[in-house]
Amino acid sequence: MTYLDNAATTFPKPRTVHDAASTFMQTLGANPGRGGHRLAAGASRMVEATRLALARFVNAGSTPERVVFAHNGTDALNMAIKGLVHAWHRDGRTHVVPHVVTSVLEHNSVSRPLEQLAADGVIALTRVDCDADGYLSPGVVAAAMTPATRLVALTHCSNVLGTVQPIAEIGAKVRERGGDAVFLVDAAQTIGVEPIDVEAAQVDVLAFPGHKALMGYPGTGGLYVAPRVELAPWREGGTGGDSKHPVQPGEYPHRLEGGTHNTIGIASLKAGLGFIAATGLDAIRQHETRLVSRLLDGLAAVPGVTIHGPRTAQRRVATVAFSVKGYASQDVGAILDTSFDIAVRPGLHCAPYCHQAIGTYPDGAVRASLGYFTTDADVDALADAIAQVAAAS
Amino acid sequence: MFGGIGPEGQRRLGQAHVVCLGCGALGSVAANTLARAGIGRLTIVDRDVVEESNLQRQVLFDEDDVRDALPKAVAAERRLRRVNSQIDVRGLVADAHHANIEALIAGADLVIDGADNFETRFLLNDACVKHGIPWIYGACIGSYGLSMVVIPGETPCLRCVVEGAPPPGLTPTCDTSGVIGPVVNMIASIQCAEALKLLTGQAHLVNRDMVTVDVWDARVQRMKVHALRDLGACPCCSHRRFEHLAAEHASQTTTLCGRNSVQISFPDDHTIDFDAVSARLAAVGRVQRNAFLLRCAIDTYDVTVFRDGRAIVEGTREPSVARSVYAKYIGI
Ligand SMILES: Cc1ncc(COP(=O)(O)O)c(C=O)c1O
Ligand SMILES: [Zn+2]
Repeated sequence: MTYLDNAATTFPKPRTVHDAASTFMQTLGANPGRGGHRLAAGASRMVEATRLALARFVNAGSTPERVVFAHNGTDALNMAIKGLVHAWHRDGRTHVVPHVVTSVLEHNSVSRPLEQLAADGVIALTRVDCDADGYLSPGVVAAAMTPATRLVALTHCSNVLGTVQPIAEIGAKVRERGGDAVFLVDAAQTIGVEPIDVEAAQVDVLAFPGHKALMGYPGTGGLYVAPRVELAPWREGGTGGDSKHPVQPGEYPHRLEGGTHNTIGIASLKAGLGFIAATGLDAIRQHETRLVSRLLDGLAAVPGVTIHGPRTAQRRVATVAFSVKGYASQDVGAILDTSFDIAVRPGLHCAPYCHQAIGTYPDGAVRASLGYFTTDADVDALADAIAQVAAAS
Repeated sequence: MFGGIGPEGQRRLGQAHVVCLGCGALGSVAANTLARAGIGRLTIVDRDVVEESNLQRQVLFDEDDVRDALPKAVAAERRLRRVNSQIDVRGLVADAHHANIEALIAGADLVIDGADNFETRFLLNDACVKHGIPWIYGACIGSYGLSMVVIPGETPCLRCVVEGAPPPGLTPTCDTSGVIGPVVNMIASIQCAEALKLLTGQAHLVNRDMVTVDVWDARVQRMKVHALRDLGACPCCSHRRFEHLAAEHASQTTTLCGRNSVQISFPDDHTIDFDAVSARLAAVGRVQRNAFLLRCAIDTYDVTVFRDGRAIVEGTREPSVARSVYAKYIGI
């Protein structure tokens, strides 16, 4: 099986990730808790060490407590969006309906919560367009902001087109335009491949899954919440300490972390971060850039193939969306799976507005997403298969 | 009155509850016969709508039903209420699957197999063996048909006789290869005769062999199957492992995002014979194919079949419709 669906989740994971998860469960598999027994304390140390490593990874090392664990990217985004809305209502500043700016490139885990809030009259929503290649313009984002704008929620990278957005420029504009508007970035497709610096990019809230390029297990994710942001807890419950508080305690990370942690997942995530550190983020990115360049060349050479988004390997991750003349995207996906043993993802990729923007709605496109373990041979196998499929149309 | 049943037998029939799972050719003959025989409660389960091509063999339906696009379960209920107002007939428009099959047959004294596919039949076998409900297997194609009574705990079950469902796309179907009314009537009649014996408390009279019929050759045969149960190797009735109920071999359907289509796929590895499938499909619609896929326009659907048997049925968002189209035209 040639696995080219790493944008959904990376596969395989490094050996060390499985070892760490298994070792943790067999030696320290207790419920973490401060001031608890030896096993609980050991589990707690592992969780806190992972938190610190994650914080440093996005340059928030001085406030590791502001990195909270989530169960996936979607969970982190819901914690962020609903937590913000809840906090606005608590502080009573909702006499003007809060305005939110988002983009056509968003994944449904951003779009759906926002659309529902808009449908419920809780927010006013503006969705900005991308350019023909799939990039957002900082100027366009800033122009969409109004005095009522309280949130700008954007993806760092389109999960369809692979285009990496200029978040530092956008962050600067957001800060400049709207004093206390929160800049929320969905780093699902970049974390673990592209460098992320929440300071430099002035990111207020960063949401990410742990199971993609961070190489952790499914069921992991995280949220960084800058100290200037007030987020109401969306999930309330036990925190392994402070039990006498009638409501969720105020201090981070406990404020946002009710319930038993996914410790096996967090242990895997810690090993994933270790793998990235040992390999080098640069080396990972270079590997993927080289491969995506090879894939773009391979696909561009096939008559009948349309590549959506930019044809170059710059300012992008190793995700390529394309269509093959004469076939629906689902047909190409099924053919690659059944006749070539290649796993890609056809359809709309939970990003309907993106497909509308690039003209591939409602059929969608075929998405091949490479990862660190993808090889030249994998890429060539895909290009070769697509050539055969296109020729048979 | 027929001595084999007698007044006491008739009274028992009036108290019996029979489920007809599937109301196509076999199911409609059986339901008709059982309603007229005075079965007290008859439940008819079917997922399909009456179509013109059904009328050639499916005796409960007529052109009005086709025009009104009635679900078969509804049309059958209406018709049989007029046939016998003394009994309680209920039509259920439902697609039997692992999650609802036990509820569909709950409380039945017996189930008549009128299914058009093996997947449903294996599911029914699991559910009936699990709950100790007798069922009567029946199937027809062309001029050929067969039947077998399964009395859990007494006779071999379907899995004693057949290891598992055939791979998708292997078995010809009535809608592609045709079936003639006479064999349908014969098999359904055999099913009903055995049902009457069981329901009147005369299990000792039940034929425990498999019966096969070819009406074109005028050949009827009985095949001894009882020894198969004694091997004690059956996962279902010997070991009570209900793999079909646990959905371990179940086909999966997914409504595809964006398009008006449903994908149906199978868990086990198969390679489908495109030549055989396209030869069969040629009878119902224009087939286009290349090395990787086979496409056929059938009624209002566009069906695309891939090498491992999975298919995309375009023209519906309903998994049950896609399953039905697959069962009728590709075979499962
Ligand atoms: C851009 C983007 N945002 C959010 C998500 C949601 O992440 P998860 O699947 O971990 O909930 C994904 C994952 O597919 C994504 O690609
Ligand atoms: Zn058995």
